[in-house]
Amino acid sequence: MTFGTPTSGRLGRGLVAPLTLSAALLIAAVFLGVVDLPAADILAVLAGRGSDDADLVIGTIRIPRILTGILAGAHFAVAGLLLQAITRNPLADPTILGISQGATLTVTIFLLFAVYGSGADAHTLYSLPLHWLPLVACAGGMLTGLLVYYLAMRNRLSVLRLTLSGIAIGATLHALAMGLIAGWGSSRFEIVMQWLSGSLYARSWEHVVFLLPFTFAAAVALPLLHRSIDMLRFEEDVARSFGLSYRLHFSLVLLTACGLAASAVGTVGPLIFVGLVVPHLAHFLAGRSFGMVMPLTVVLGASLVTGADLAGRLLGQAEEIPIGVITALTGAPVLLFLLRRRS
Amino acid sequence: MILKATNVSIRYGAHCALDGFSLGFSPAEIVALIGPNGSGKSTALHALAGLTRPEVGEVVLDGREMRQWKRRNLAKRLSFLPQAPYAPDDMSVEQLVRQGRFAHLGPFQGFRSEDRMAVQWALESTGLEELADRGLKELSGGERQRAWIAAALAQESGILILDEPTSFLDIGHQVEILELISRLSRERGVTVVIAIHDLNHAMAIADRIALLSAGRLVFEGSPAALSTTGLLETTFNVKGKFIRSDAADAPYLQIRVQR
Repeated sequence: MTFGTPTSGRLGRGLVAPLTLSAALLIAAVFLGVVDLPAADILAVLAGRGSDDADLVIGTIRIPRILTGILAGAHFAVAGLLLQAITRNPLADPTILGISQGATLTVTIFLLFAVYGSGADAHTLYSLPLHWLPLVACAGGMLTGLLVYYLAMRNRLSVLRLTLSGIAIGATLHALAMGLIAGWGSSRFEIVMQWLSGSLYARSWEHVVFLLPFTFAAAVALPLLHRSIDMLRFEEDVARSFGLSYRLHFSLVLLTACGLAASAVGTVGPLIFVGLVVPHLAHFLAGRSFGMVMPLTVVLGASLVTGADLAGRLLGQAEEIPIGVITALTGAPVLLFLLRRRS
Repeated sequence: MILKATNVSIRYGAHCALDGFSLGFSPAEIVALIGPNGSGKSTALHALAGLTRPEVGEVVLDGREMRQWKRRNLAKRLSFLPQAPYAPDDMSVEQLVRQGRFAHLGPFQGFRSEDRMAVQWALESTGLEELADRGLKELSGGERQRAWIAAALAQESGILILDEPTSFLDIGHQVEILELISRLSRERGVTVVIAIHDLNHAMAIADRIALLSAGRLVFEGSPAALSTTGLLETTFNVKGKFIRSDAADAPYLQIRVQR
């Protein structure tokens, strides 16, 4: 009789196909792009002796952009997985805690102040302090997540109240942001729209460095919490009778999810569907090997964002299609397919 | 007394769910909690399991107040099975039962042979070995209930608190679970506290009966003593008579249904 623990061999085999796919995507993402570079030049850059032009395109533009996509995709997907588990809600993703909406509102307010505060006109967009955007958006998302958490924890922790407050707060913040954008008008709101649809355009090493501390923190926390995460999928009474300090572990997992989601929203904007679809796909592929779900979520999340960015770059050429548009367009059919398979 | 509630009162808003409840439990005894719907059985079990904190009174386990217990240590000593619990639907029977070992394992500790033996024993005791790899979704109500009991058994705790474990089961499975409970108490010395609706099952299985009515404990004693009080008829508002063919048998209440 087997005892349900997948052996490491089985674990490894299930990951082969997704890992191959993501490696292929990674190579394609490095070699293909708007600027057509010969493969030999790109290999030279990777070997550390490329021409200045090729170095600029690959080392300063393409590689940090791809790395940002990989990290942000993994962040979104893992945040979605954690939130779906602890809220026992298959529709949970970073928007359910109001994280994306909070980030959107702070970004809108920040740009409003930046534009009017600096007295700049529409043509000086590039003088805006855009390097502050990740920090501002991340802080806004984090604060919103913590506010929703506080509301849910008052008196007694309630998962339902967490979901309801998250949706209510999220809707309010979203409405405020939209109101500001509509009232603001003018050509300047284009930059907010661009941010809103999610993009890896002009993401640099700064963004990679911004994301990495969150990635490392989660990489340390999640292995420590993996049994608790399984346990949090049960109702509170059951989890506590099995021996889980429910409030403490719920808070730790929620905080991890919040940090991952807010940092990702901060750097690439609210990429809808990544946090929703990827965990479902991972569950579908893993079946009952629960140990596989987390690694699959990481790999698939990173691949989806890298792939969507590559598709956006190639299809749109110089007028890149925003990555959020691609993830939503490809994510929705996947979700519908998984729903059909389930019922 | 290994577990003891003293003068416990619990309110939900204005409603007093439990009022001055005191009851103690000895090793290896089976105590059945009976009472009409809303009489406070579930609330009493939640308080005994340390899941609901009483505003007044205290629950003491092994001489220590309940709030001083760490969850993990408590789970090794006492397991509680709520009514109709929810399980993630992608879990198999065995995966559910393995969760019962949670309190015994550190975050990086793999399953040891003692853990595997506990899971194996829990599956055998509940007759689920054949169904171990089956998904919980594919089970009948009775099988799913047995899987949950197996998960509680895998905790290997000395005290088992069960909230209506036989509801929604057919009579064959009800009897199976009652027999399992007596076996646990007899062979393993497990203390069992069980809330149950069927009065005759309660009297058949329990060493002691506790009768709750509107949040208050109105009777506590042996099934034989209960049968002489007439309290069952007044509390549940039914008419019937006790049948006892043999002094060694548990009393049996035959309820009259008017038609």
